[in-house]
Amino acid sequence: MLKHRLLAPRPPILLGFGGLLAFLHYNDERRAVKIGKDSYTGSDTAVAPIIGGPFTLVNSENQIVNEQDFLGNWVLLYFGYTSSPDIGPDQVRIMAKVIDTLEAKKNLKVLPVFVTIDPQRDTPAQLRAYLKEFDPRIVGLGGLVSAVRQMAQEYRVYFKKVEEEGDDYLVESSHSMYLIDPKMKVVRCFGVEYNAEQLSKEILKELKKHQVNA
Amino acid sequence: MSLEAYASAKQDEIHTDVLLQARQACYKARDAFYSCLEKHSDKKPTEIGSVGLLYPTECKPSREDYVKNCRVSWVKHFDRQYCKTKRTQRLLDDKETRRGV
Repeated sequence: MLKHRLLAPRPPILLGFGGLLAFLHYNDERRAVKIGKDSYTGSDTAVAPIIGGPFTLVNSENQIVNEQDFLGNWVLLYFGYTSSPDIGPDQVRIMAKVIDTLEAKKNLKVLPVFVTIDPQRDTPAQLRAYLKEFDPRIVGLGGLVSAVRQMAQEYRVYFKKVEEEGDDYLVESSHSMYLIDPKMKVVRCFGVEYNAEQLSKEILKELKKHQVNA
Repeated sequence: MSLEAYASAKQDEIHTDVLLQARQACYKARDAFYSCLEKHSDKKPTEIGSVGLLYPTECKPSREDYVKNCRVSWVKHFDRQYCKTKRTQRLLDDKETRRGV
């Protein structure tokens, strides 16, 4: 008796299953891109999300600065803060050395920019005092917390207050440097693993590549 | 956006304890303290530093000097880093004596 019950509904189920398979197969064929048909952009063009955007900040001379002021310059941008115990000073030192190397040896001008991710403590005066110890060419930018937060979001920079004890805290962040071309487009992102020499070499590579494409 | 919002007395205040000289003094005191720890690593650590770092009483003066020259958050940061390096070193050195690792 049981056997009959199981056998009876078999044909429709099989048909239904077969139909489903046929549909899936048809759908796959429809969605597949035939080899060689679609346009291939090449592996060296940026297919990454667009990083960067407009910003309005205050520099160490208390002047309002926005992204338009940097058009036409190559920019090396670092998001840091003056109260960083070790990584911050190291990165700024590397940045200063790279700028120096590129200018002295290759006569290439890259503008170093330090944007503080701790605008509450890093006032224009603080930025000025801190950065001039490394290199007077470094532009320090700060301002309203909301403005900095917006820029950090555009540049996909993570930063967070940690170890907070009243006014004394550290800011956790990715400590990366961004290389930006004269059209204010981010071309590369460098992490802390790059030392001054490697960074100079990589930046030189990007500058040369840009000259070829321009 | 008006600049008046920035023209307050606080704006002229500079935190000198993060500038070059203060940083170097802090690094020096920190290194002195950690080398004291290395020197007296055979002694029993009885004093408590921050974030779980223990140190022997012999290093108490260098500890005080270190804490005086560096910000609290910096002390915690360096201590944590030191503990982490020590732990990794212990894991790497103890290969022979640990079983099942």
